[in-house]
Amino acid sequence: MSSPSQPDPRFEKAKLGDDELLVAHEKALGPKPDERARYRLAPLMMLFAMAGVILFAATYLNRYSGRFDRSVYDETALPNAGGAAEAKVDPAVAGKRLFGTPGACVTCHQATGEGIPGVYPPLAGSEWATGSEERVIRIVLFGLKGPVRVRGTDFPGTAAMPAFGASGFAWSDEKIAAVLTYVRQEWGNKAAAVTPQQVHKIRQSVGERKEWTQDELLTVK
Amino acid sequence: MTTAPIQAGPTSGEWDAPAGAGAAGAPGRGPLLFLIGSALVWLVVSGVFALIASIQLHTPGFLSDCPILTHGRVRVLQETAFVYGWLGTAGPALAVWILGRLSGSPLRGTSWLGVGAAFWNAGLALGLVGIAIGDGTGTALFGLPAYVHPVMLASYAAIAIAGVLAWTGRRRGPMFAAQWYAAAALFLFPWLFSAADIMLVLAPVRGVLQAVVAGWFAQGLWTLWMAPLALAGAYYVVPRLTGKTLPNYDAASLGFWCLVFVGGWTGGRHLIGGPVPAWISTLAVVTTAMLVFHYVVVALNLRPALGAGSVLRFIAFGVGSYVLGGFVDAVTAARSVAVSTQFTTFDQAQQQLALYGGVSMLLYGTLYFAIPRIAGRAWSSADLLRGHFALAATGIALLVVSLGAAGLSQGRDLADPSVSFAAMATHMQVWLLVATGAQAILLLGNLLLAVNFLETAVLKPGSGEGVAS
Ligand code: HEC
Repeated sequence: MSSPSQPDPRFEKAKLGDDELLVAHEKALGPKPDERARYRLAPLMMLFAMAGVILFAATYLNRYSGRFDRSVYDETALPNAGGAAEAKVDPAVAGKRLFGTPGACVTCHQATGEGIPGVYPPLAGSEWATGSEERVIRIVLFGLKGPVRVRGTDFPGTAAMPAFGASGFAWSDEKIAAVLTYVRQEWGNKAAAVTPQQVHKIRQSVGERKEWTQDELLTVK
Repeated sequence: MTTAPIQAGPTSGEWDAPAGAGAAGAPGRGPLLFLIGSALVWLVVSGVFALIASIQLHTPGFLSDCPILTHGRVRVLQETAFVYGWLGTAGPALAVWILGRLSGSPLRGTSWLGVGAAFWNAGLALGLVGIAIGDGTGTALFGLPAYVHPVMLASYAAIAIAGVLAWTGRRRGPMFAAQWYAAAALFLFPWLFSAADIMLVLAPVRGVLQAVVAGWFAQGLWTLWMAPLALAGAYYVVPRLTGKTLPNYDAASLGFWCLVFVGGWTGGRHLIGGPVPAWISTLAVVTTAMLVFHYVVVALNLRPALGAGSVLRFIAFGVGSYVLGGFVDAVTAARSVAVSTQFTTFDQAQQQLALYGGVSMLLYGTLYFAIPRIAGRAWSSADLLRGHFALAATGIALLVVSLGAAGLSQGRDLADPSVSFAAMATHMQVWLLVATGAQAILLLGNLLLAVNFLETAVLKPGSGEGVAS
């Protein structure tokens, strides 16, 4: 695109002075006579373009902003109703994780829920595990000691079931409810879920105590 | 449409006389030439660091037993010398000069300009030594050690005084686009820099928020400082050399406000997929897309730069890269694209396209226009000027293409767990060698500019033919 007379690159003469430049552009902004009654399209198209961009922006923001919640990290998610930062966890998932925590249930009752014959009773198909919430919550909160009969087999009570509600483990109502919900619905068990409220009520009403025995528990409901 | 030629005014040469003063005694000439000269020194210095860093990418052992020159530090040294030394020294000097020209009166506050120039360079030199010995802050584009921050801020303010005085004391009320951009850049840098200083150094925000602030700063430095500095020059030089009113000039102010208001929000796109609330990245994606509007306006306004002339060729290349960079940003900000280009050398390709192809080229063009008018004499060599353009254009194209290709290959390999790190490195090797060649070409080009400047403004000042009669 070279013009016939290339200007000297060492000093290219300006074709417009500073003041001319200001005046010319000031005029370009001022009201223009509507030459030959032709409407100027450019500004109108600009306006349309701008509107289009803003429409896109608003739609995109609305979709992927997570309602500007600072706890939402995944752009396709929405915050909980009420805007609480606490995420809803599936008790079965949390329960499974708790069950498998080293030193917790899995150590004795095994991942299969079958326990160890003669020492640790099974949870799968156990009438205790799937029976009254009142009893099973008490077992996990405070522990169990002495002989116990599970699935028609007598366990001599050489080992004891530790308390998860106090001392060492000191699990919260939520954790105990979660792990019990998992136990009651795994390995073919089909018992109702346990809520933190139920655990809380029993914890409050019993207060502090040592491990239960089978006979004591049988008096509960 | 709006490109009606202006009636030829008095002979052009007359208009180029530094306003209100004879060529010899033009106020501010000394400090301005000092600022620009030092900017060229930093440009060459950063070019040397860039070459070392580039070689280290394919030959990791290169100079790496010297702790000062390990890759991490060389990268920061290069970036700091380039951004603060070259762009940040030449840019404000030219902005002040343009504001002075358009104010219709001689520059005022020029002794502050001199003092500021001296301290800005001293602070920068100290800062680079600090980075070399490991005192850098470790934040992108904010690598200068904390102890030089006050000096940088104060000296910048001193430099800006002359520009602000010229702006507030201008003869004509309504402003031209070059003035908006120049004034905005002068005002916004201290705000950005001090805000980042408070949130990252003095009273650091915690955790993830730091990444957010760092991203905001890096992007802000680009959209609110470097880009306006470069655009001020382009908006000034293009109509002066073409002699025509800028086409679609009525959209220019929309383009300006779009950059200023929307640009600062685009930083979060570098955090896509990172541990930050989703809305930060989402807002960034949206604003990056909105910024396309700004780029379209700039392209429309500055398209006459495509005309003939050696100076305008720099500007045309710069506008092209600047606008292209804006579109590439918008595309790669989209989440689905970002996941494969992020954290690869593709990011660097984009940065080089913007900083070198865009801002640097625009500043070169402005510089070639301004120096004869500041120094009062024509460039000493036309061949050096043409050579510089050829080398710069080739170097930038090679650099951007090679880094981009290496980045795409890296992104593909990173996403494929069966590709080992060693295999990934061999895939990139060729492109990284090309990138090193490109850095060498760029360095050579910048040396031509430096020599030309030395001969024109330093070695024979005042002799030869005057141009500002
Ligand atoms: C240290 C080993 C041990 C751990 C850990 C343990 N238990 Fe037990 N558990 C026992 C023993 C032993 C018995 C039988 C106690 C007895 O014989 O009186 C038992 C009994 C039970 C019973 C009643 C009998 C049955 O098989 O249904 C339930 C229900 C039970 N455990 C649930 C759990 C849950 C839920 C956990 C995890 C939160 C858990 N246990 C952790 C050892 C353990």
